[in-house]
Amino acid sequence: MADTNGNKNGFAVHVRNVTKTFGTGEAQVVALKGVDFDARMGELLMIVGPSGCGKTTLLSVIAGTLVFEAGEIDVFDSPLHRLKNREVTEFRKRNVGFIFQQFNLIPTLSILENVSVPLLINGVGRVKAEKKAREVLERMGLAGRENDRPTLLSGGQQQRVAIARALVHDPRLVICDEPTSALDKDTGAKIMELLRDVARHPDRCVIVVTHDNRVFKYADRMTEMEDGRVHKVHENYSQYEQKGNH
Amino acid sequence: MYRLALKMLLGDRAKYIMLVGGLTFASLLMTQQCAVFFGLLSWTTSHMRNMRASIWVVDPKVEQINEIKAMRDTDVNRVRSVTGVAYAVPLYAGVIQARIADGSFKPVQLIGLDSATLVGRPPVVLSGRLEDLRLPHTVMVDELAIERLSLRGGRKIGIGDTFEINDREARIIGICKTDRHFFGYPYVFTTYDEAMQFAPKTRKMLSMVLAEPVKGWTAAQTARQIENETHLKAFTEDEFNKSTIKWFFKNTGIPASFGTTIILGFIVGIVVSGQTFYSFVLENLRNLGALKAMGASNWLLARMLMLQALTVGFIGYGIGVGLTVLFGFAVLKTGQPPFLLPYQLPLFTLVVIIFICMFAALLGIRKIYKLEAAVVFRG
Repeated sequence: MADTNGNKNGFAVHVRNVTKTFGTGEAQVVALKGVDFDARMGELLMIVGPSGCGKTTLLSVIAGTLVFEAGEIDVFDSPLHRLKNREVTEFRKRNVGFIFQQFNLIPTLSILENVSVPLLINGVGRVKAEKKAREVLERMGLAGRENDRPTLLSGGQQQRVAIARALVHDPRLVICDEPTSALDKDTGAKIMELLRDVARHPDRCVIVVTHDNRVFKYADRMTEMEDGRVHKVHENYSQYEQKGNH
Repeated sequence: MYRLALKMLLGDRAKYIMLVGGLTFASLLMTQQCAVFFGLLSWTTSHMRNMRASIWVVDPKVEQINEIKAMRDTDVNRVRSVTGVAYAVPLYAGVIQARIADGSFKPVQLIGLDSATLVGRPPVVLSGRLEDLRLPHTVMVDELAIERLSLRGGRKIGIGDTFEINDREARIIGICKTDRHFFGYPYVFTTYDEAMQFAPKTRKMLSMVLAEPVKGWTAAQTARQIENETHLKAFTEDEFNKSTIKWFFKNTGIPASFGTTIILGFIVGIVVSGQTFYSFVLENLRNLGALKAMGASNWLLARMLMLQALTVGFIGYGIGVGLTVLFGFAVLKTGQPPFLLPYQLPLFTLVVIIFICMFAALLGIRKIYKLEAAVVFRG
């Protein structure tokens, strides 16, 4: 299922007519109104738009962390809309890496342990997991900090740990929710460079949700959302800029 | 992941201490109070351990060993004549005032043993010879009697010393060890004949008949035979034990008051650990959500929570039972309050603590099952 390399129409993520509502009755809010969306392999795709337009909801349904009511989502040819809960969890475990706005590192664990978590969840033994985590941390420039607690690191360093954690099990889809909004400009730029490097892999796709316009330039493509729908797709940042968006 | 679960638990020092503290308190309260309760119950049947016999024959209306109705002396012979009885001896048991050297009175539990056989003798003689009880006006007293019958601040009485029972001199010829009695009276052993002299005269003086079955008969068979032939009440040791404890359950508020404390311990354990563990889960909800997003199944997270809950449970249980044992060692030296810790009691507490932990874990597990992994994307 999820481990096949073939991609529908050459897309890593293929979303068709997806609808998601929250609440019931008068309090019902339609967050996604028949969204169509694609993401390619080897690209860093940004989903942008104003607050409340459905960016994070779209990201959640693509990642398989939120159940949607209607539509179809294929990620690496795995039809999420047809999978059972347990299969979706299994899919996420193997194929998705997460980078969160608030880093979501577990404060009582060391950096090495935090980075090992996805491997441990995948059933890798502790020694092997920590060896791999050490290698990834070294690539992130965090060698020597393995035994520190996350709280001892700066925001940028914590986000690098989060990236290491997202990549340690070699996922094909990396989901990033506002990865730079808690960081200053320079640190944010470094993080985005890192993510762009991560995306430069033919078998990988990085999707970033952000409203931080300082980092838009790192996008290979940009999907603009408005009121629960995909409003425009820009093939590059210049196109987005030319349309007077910046 | 289990190792990380434990690190997550131990990392939150305040919650960890609170959880262990709550479970320690619950475990201590339940075990210690139960042990005191069992100790108290054991005191109600101490006569049976201090005057051992297979069959206890009493008036038909007697329900428990501490409330004896006197019988006629001839009843001993009636019991002796029953088929299946190897031997039967008279026994006197009554609470009598003893007067000590300064003229003050102390109640004592006077036990009169059959002069010929001394059946019903105390289990452990610490000093002196039991056979010397056959000498006139002699008694063997227990350690508590030494405390009670000695003058306050003066030297302890011992072998050769005297005191008065019912205006008659009683000379101590030995000291024995007994199990303390429910009413707290010291034991004073003498012969049945001597007891008849010490005790105030009443129409009937025989308290009980102690009997043994012949070879090939069980105590229960012989007891039933005695009842059939004499219309007296005959208890085996086990029957008398149960009957006495049942009487205390039915007629006193002791089980209710101890039961209340034990239930309180259980409730404190449930509330403190349940509430603390639930708030531990709530505070970690984002982290748990992140684990869930990364592919940790509900079952894996549930097992992690159960491990955390059981870890604090076992630590709290260990400390609680350990403190109870220390308490037990301390009180057994002084003799009070009563304390009895059968091996079933720590096992019972363990089961209750595991139940409390599982309940606390269940609250968290319920939350995790309902938790959407997407919670990590909300700001």
